[in-house]
Amino acid sequence: MITPFQIACRNLLRKKVRTFLTLIGIMLSTWVMVSLFGFNKGYEKALNRDIENMGYQLMVMAKGCPYEAATMMLQGGKGLRYMEQSMVNDIVKEPEVEKVTPILMQAYFDPNKGESGGIAGYFGVDPASYPAMKPFFRFRSGGWFHDEAAQEVVMGYEAAELEQREVGDMTMVPEKNVQLKVVGILERTGTQDDGTIFVPLKSLQRIAGTAKITTVGIKVKKDADMSKLETKLYQLKDVQVVSFSQVKQTILKLIATARVMVLSIAIVAILIAMVGVVNTVLMSVLERVQEIGILKTMGAMPGDIFRLVWTETLILCSVGGIAGIGFALLFAQVTDILVRRILPYAPGGGLVAIDLPLALLTLVTIVGVGLLSGLYPAWKAGRVRPLESIRREG
Amino acid sequence: MIKSVIFFLLLPVICLSGASAAVAAVACDLNDADRDVPRLFRESTSYKTFYVSIGERGGPPLLKRIENRLGSSYLPLYAPIDVPYTLYEIYRNGEKVGYIHGVNQKGQFGGVQIFMSQDLAGRIKSFYIQKITGKSAGKFRDVKFAKKFVGMSLKDFDGYDPVTGKGAGRVAEITNPAPEMETDFYAVLRGLKKNLILMDEFVFAPERGKQ
Repeated sequence: MITPFQIACRNLLRKKVRTFLTLIGIMLSTWVMVSLFGFNKGYEKALNRDIENMGYQLMVMAKGCPYEAATMMLQGGKGLRYMEQSMVNDIVKEPEVEKVTPILMQAYFDPNKGESGGIAGYFGVDPASYPAMKPFFRFRSGGWFHDEAAQEVVMGYEAAELEQREVGDMTMVPEKNVQLKVVGILERTGTQDDGTIFVPLKSLQRIAGTAKITTVGIKVKKDADMSKLETKLYQLKDVQVVSFSQVKQTILKLIATARVMVLSIAIVAILIAMVGVVNTVLMSVLERVQEIGILKTMGAMPGDIFRLVWTETLILCSVGGIAGIGFALLFAQVTDILVRRILPYAPGGGLVAIDLPLALLTLVTIVGVGLLSGLYPAWKAGRVRPLESIRREG
Repeated sequence: MIKSVIFFLLLPVICLSGASAAVAAVACDLNDADRDVPRLFRESTSYKTFYVSIGERGGPPLLKRIENRLGSSYLPLYAPIDVPYTLYEIYRNGEKVGYIHGVNQKGQFGGVQIFMSQDLAGRIKSFYIQKITGKSAGKFRDVKFAKKFVGMSLKDFDGYDPVTGKGAGRVAEITNPAPEMETDFYAVLRGLKKNLILMDEFVFAPERGKQ
């Protein structure tokens, strides 16, 4: 005996092109929707990972430093603002502070990089305190510096690959022409550390001709009041405090605008797809009025006709939804690349995270909205009057 | 607060500025192909970018053949078998007129990125060192030095070994523009030979096979 599901499938296959186009519409809207939800989830996760991998939650730097950072890139470190290294002693006294590490950032112009030159950036780090801030660092080869003023570098994975360096090789600081020996190459972390060249703080201070630093990284004690600490740090002379939790919130707020726009597009896409569903199923009902009339004369109740038409909607939405989720999973990396091009700041790692609960949630939403769209055609089919329809068709 | 965000946004840029082409970890890309292609291939009107890997072009047998042709452990590929090489096909009014291809070679203080453009017969039309590190590195990027390679082909390396620096012919006649950077001078020649061999295996040998 033929089931209502089989009848619904056959009805849909009668107009293959129309059914196919409707499926494409549902598939595309599902694709957009699941990718968007995946991005919402993945971006925050990636941002959290990036911030956690910084190793510290607060940074103290000389006032104006954000702008000087841009200057540093454009002019190779000229005009940087520095602060006294003794600042570290003032900060470490605070009861909320677990660890601190002084950092000196320097950038030098290399005229022989690219067509018109490029910048080589260096991170001067304290061998005694910095490694403890990054316990997740793993070395592909070698290790940390041999002493606090060694003429050595530790290179991030990407930096070492680009420079074709191995442990034991030499590097040269542009402008200064100072040679440094590679003593360690890190494993890939998926963060900005991959492109970083670390130098012992004292060595970089000597190369730069300064005894000062640009930044202090602060790891806060668990359960400490971070805002209280921030307030206290602001009392220090000529410094500004960067809190990564605030940075995170602000970045998320900036991204929120883009999210709302994409969400609006997704909603419009779903609405268009659902109008397509209504059109397809309604057309199918209107073309089969006589058939429905005959079914009713044979004893089919309005509820039976309603369920039959609704099943068609269910099939359309389920198949389209599953295909859309499949495509979203298949092209997640492409979506990732496109999103990275659009966003002002994209953290490392995957930005689009689609998992099973998210896929199921999207499918349920698409099928739910689809079934709502199918209510009217199904209701209209259920209300067909048998004799009237047979007479009209005849 | 916005200052903090600016800083945070700039931080990775600052860090990665030491490795500006970090994305192209092993394969060698032009930093700005739209700008660099017309400069390296003056008569070009358009170009297409292709990615070819030893893995897809012939797998381990091809890798072995390339390594045999390179002839020495001093000419390592620095690339796993599946890493794609970027190949620019150059067109003039829709007609293919040549290629641009670059390789990485280890220099004394950093990676050296060596690009060349070739006509359809495999002769070098222009030579460009995109990146090189050292006190006198600029001398290797000088136009006069680059011009010495114009017209050369793989055959010119038949009588010269860039590993030992011994041999005769056009390559042997090229003088080191920066004697204090001897390691890098030979790195450039080795990189060029590697580039020519890779292009021969990826492009010219298959074309000869079709004829």
